[in-house]
Formats: sequence, structure tokens, C-alpha cells
Amino acid sequence: MNKKFWLLCFFAITSVIVGLFFGAADFSNRELLSCLVDSCSSEVNEMIFWEIRAPRVLVGFLVGAGLAVAGATLQNVTRNGLADPYLFGVVSGAGLGASIATLLFDSNFAENLGLLSLLPGISFSLALPFAAFLGALFSVILVQLLVTRTFGSKTEHMLLAGIAVSFMLSALSHFILFMAEPFAANKVIFWLMGSLARIETWYAWVILPVLIVSVSLLLLYGRHMDALLIGDENAKTLGVHVGRLRILSLATCAALTACIVAYCGGIGFVGLMIPHIIRNWLGVTSRTLIIGCVLLGGAFLVWVDVIARIALPDQEIPIGIITSAIGSIFFLLAMRQRNT
Amino acid sequence: MPEKPNLIAKHINYKIATKVILSDIDLSVHRGEVLGVVGPNGAGKTSLLKILSGQVFCQGSVFWKQKDLKEYSEMQRAQQIAVVNQINDSVFSLNLQQIVRMGLLPHSSLISRATPDDTLRIAQALEKVGLTEKAQQTFSSLSGGEQQRGLIARALVQRADLIVLDEPVNHLDVYYQHQVLQLLTSLARSLKVTVIMSLHDVNLAAHYCDNICLLNQGKLIAKGTPEAVFTTKQLSEVFRLPCAVTEGASNKSFHVNFYPPSQTGHHLTKGDC
Repeated sequence: MNKKFWLLCFFAITSVIVGLFFGAADFSNRELLSCLVDSCSSEVNEMIFWEIRAPRVLVGFLVGAGLAVAGATLQNVTRNGLADPYLFGVVSGAGLGASIATLLFDSNFAENLGLLSLLPGISFSLALPFAAFLGALFSVILVQLLVTRTFGSKTEHMLLAGIAVSFMLSALSHFILFMAEPFAANKVIFWLMGSLARIETWYAWVILPVLIVSVSLLLLYGRHMDALLIGDENAKTLGVHVGRLRILSLATCAALTACIVAYCGGIGFVGLMIPHIIRNWLGVTSRTLIIGCVLLGGAFLVWVDVIARIALPDQEIPIGIITSAIGSIFFLLAMRQRNT
Repeated sequence: MPEKPNLIAKHINYKIATKVILSDIDLSVHRGEVLGVVGPNGAGKTSLLKILSGQVFCQGSVFWKQKDLKEYSEMQRAQQIAVVNQINDSVFSLNLQQIVRMGLLPHSSLISRATPDDTLRIAQALEKVGLTEKAQQTFSSLSGGEQQRGLIARALVQRADLIVLDEPVNHLDVYYQHQVLQLLTSLARSLKVTVIMSLHDVNLAAHYCDNICLLNQGKLIAKGTPEAVFTTKQLSEVFRLPCAVTEGASNKSFHVNFYPPSQTGHHLTKGDC
């Protein structure tokens, strides 16, 4: 495991460094190295490098890591290898929360509803991830309730309930956006496909602490989460507080997904693919899985973003298109593997 | 002076909605004793095991080492009582060693790291159940008997003084049935661990258990040695089948035969059914 772990660390670090070499602005390798270790040759380059390119790679890494960790957590908690924040409606829930927040902070709309007086002093940039978190939490609770109270906890039922909730919440947020704004197609595309194009440096300072706290909590409770893998009853007989652990894990998953979706839109399938690869390659215990997901998930999204930037000349592909294309094939392969 | 029982259950009454599952059960189990819980389907065996292991609480009291089970925290209970349930869920292919390692959970804090002692304990437990060579195999790839022995190894790592097993030899072939039960009785003798298990097979229960608790429709019909409890009268009443008890030379070699309702038994030694 150790050798593989260090190999993964090396891959993650290399990916971040190599990711800095790709972008719309034409930087020579020497200029890039100079920007990294010393300072760029011009103020413009300095600005492009430190305010556009580096934040984009950094946020891309954090987003990939966060989505992979959220997916791994969801899969462990539900003991379902096909669980993913996108398929389980967490992304749609976060999107709905973010859409409502966007709407409330739209001065025209808020004024029409007489809400403007209720919102003074609240910063939109902080309200957005918080609203997304509430939406994500709502969808997690809704799926869990549907599964435990109505449909039963078979894998297929869980998946179908998640997909149904996902469609329902997506429909709701798209409806809200269209009702509020006649030209909302751009926003809908953003929530559907995700993008790292509008990244700002401070996004990293919101996502990073959430990621650090979430990963620390999940590592702390790693052994308890392993016990969940052998069933709730078995875990309880080992002294695990199953209910509390499940709430903590799902809240962590919702928080991670929410702060990512709020700033980068809905990026699908990262949370499905990466944990699968790590389980097969590195190991299945929760601590190994979480660390592996941080490294591989981050590196994966950096590379996907590179492809998104360079695949078409003078044009950027929304990142979610690429992750969904890779992910859907992976999903089918995973389904096939489960049935053999 | 006789040793006090380790586990005492007093006036156990358990209902689900309005259905009575267990009614006024009293029993006690000593250190190092192997107690078999026997009875037909729906007799309340699983519920009784869950109550005795603190998984379910009900009217009445269960005292473990003179302290009410309700007064133990979940972690304290797990340090004292190991429950061996089947693991049907093998979605993420944990290996045997990882499953056995879970026995350390009740004794470790959130931040503690595995010590060389822990590793040794896991190795010793695997050796005791004869699965050292299979430590790295995925749990789901093991045979039913190996899985059951693996879970017993986890209970050993858990350092529990009471091991509770619900039908531990279900779905096992005859060879593995004897292997698992032999292992449990030898652990009870050598480590003075108390073992409580439900069994369907009356003959296996008679052979391997020190005492039997015979249940029917939630009531304790009899408790005592197999010879005292497994009388043709009691067995035929509880299982609603004619039967015959054949006694051998030693007290562990008697055998119970059940017959279809129309037939009568042969070689009856304790009375006709």
C-alpha cells in the first residue's frame, strides 16, 4: 500500500504543477517556472498566473477531492457502490438551495416580494454555499426517508429514489430560475454541467476549510465507518453509534457537495468513479479510501479541466460534459461488474 | 461456595406492538458455560439473544456481572459482549483480517493507532480458529464455516467475556457444524468465556451445550442439562412431532429422532410420544 500511496501523492502533485502549464494565455515554460519560484516577467502575466490560472488549478483540485470524498462517504454510509452525490440528488438539492439564494439576492426579485429588508448585511458569497448546504441536506434527508420509510433499502430502490429526487429538485430549481429570469439558460447550463471558468481565488478559502474539516472528521471516524460496512446491527454490537455516525457522514457529504456546487455548478460522476478506482487499487478501509479520494479525485479534475480548456480551439467545454461522458461509461461498467 | 452466575435475566417480558414475543423468562448463566437456546421457529430465540446481549431492551432486567445491562454504555457493552451475526453484506470486499481487526474497536479511542500488541492479538485469534493463512482473503470468498470461524476470531479480539451467537451453524454442512461448535466449546473451557447460542438441531445442542433453555411460543419450557430438558414428552410437545430419545453409555451420546406425525418411534427409552 505504501508504494502505491506515494505513487498517488507524486501523481497528484505532478498533476497540479502540470495543470499550471495549460490555459488560454500563452506562457512559455520558462515564464511559468519563473512565476512559480520567483515572479513573472510582467504585471499582466503576474495577474493572469496568480489570479486566474493558479486559483483555477487549486480550486479544480479541491473540487475533485471534495466530490470524490463526498461520493466515498455516501457509498460507505449506504453500503452502495453506485451512490454518488449527483445520482443521489445531493447535487440537485445544493443547486436548488443555490438557485433560491441567487434569486433572493437578485435585488429586483427581492424587492418585488418585499424581501429586500430581510437581507441587509448578509453577504451573498457566504449565503450561497449555506443555502446550497441546506438544499443538499434536504435532499439527503428526503432520499433517506424515501428509502427507509417507503421503498426499502435495496440497492436498486436507493438508486431509483436518488435519481427521482435528483430529477425532481433539478426541475424545481430550473423552474425557479426560468420564472425569475427570462434568460436563465446560462444559469441552468451552469447548474447542469458545472464549470471552473468563473473561479476566483477566494472560492478556495471557502472550499478548503470545509474539505479539511470534513476529511479530518471522516479520518477520525474511519474505523467506525468501516464497521458500518458490515451492517448496522453488527456495527452497533461493536459499540458504534450508528445513527449519530450516519448523520455526521451525510452532513459532511452535504457540506462538501454544497460548497462545491455553489461555486462550480453540478459536476457529475467524480464521486462515483474515484472511490471505485481507489477501492480496487489502494484498499477498501475508510481511511485509505478517503486519503486516496483526496489525491486521485483532485488530480482527476485538474486533468479534466485541462482537457476542457484545450480540447476545442478558442472555446471551453463545460467540465461536467467531460466528467459525465467518462462517468456514464464507468457507471455502466460498474453495473456490469456488480452483475457478474 | 458456588460461583455467582455471570448473567442473570429476571422477568423478561417482550412485546412487539400487541404480540407477546417473550413472557416472564428467568435464567442465569455461569462463567465458562455453554448455553443452547432451542425451540421451534417463532419461539422467541432471536429476541431472547438480542435482549441478553443488550441489543434490545424490554420489561424486566438483565444483569451482566451484577450490573444491569442498561447501565452499560454501548461501548462498555461491546467490551464485554460479542455478538456473532452473519455478515451478508460484502459490497466492498473487506478481507478477513480487516473484519477481525474490528474487534479492537470497543477498546480503542478515535485517535489511537494500532499497537504491536493489537497485531499480535489478531494473529493469535486467527491462529486459534485456524485461519492464519486466509487472513488476506476477501471475507466473501471464504466458505460459510470459515466466515463463522472468522467472526468468532473477531469476538476473541474483542476480548469479550460473553459471546452470543444466533444460529451459528445455519447453512453449514455437517463437517463445519461440528468444527464451529467444537471451537466454541473449547473456547468456553480454555478461556472461561460464556457462550450463548441458538440452535435448531437438538442433537448438536445436546452434544455441545452444558445447559439448554427450551423455548416455545415465548415461554421458557425448561432449563437445565440436555438430559433433563430433552425428554420425549417435552420435545414432542414443543416441536409437535413424535420423537424418541435413544440413550447411549455416556451422558453426551444420547440421540433424539423425530418422526413424521403418522409414524411412531422405535427404541424408546424415556417413554412413548
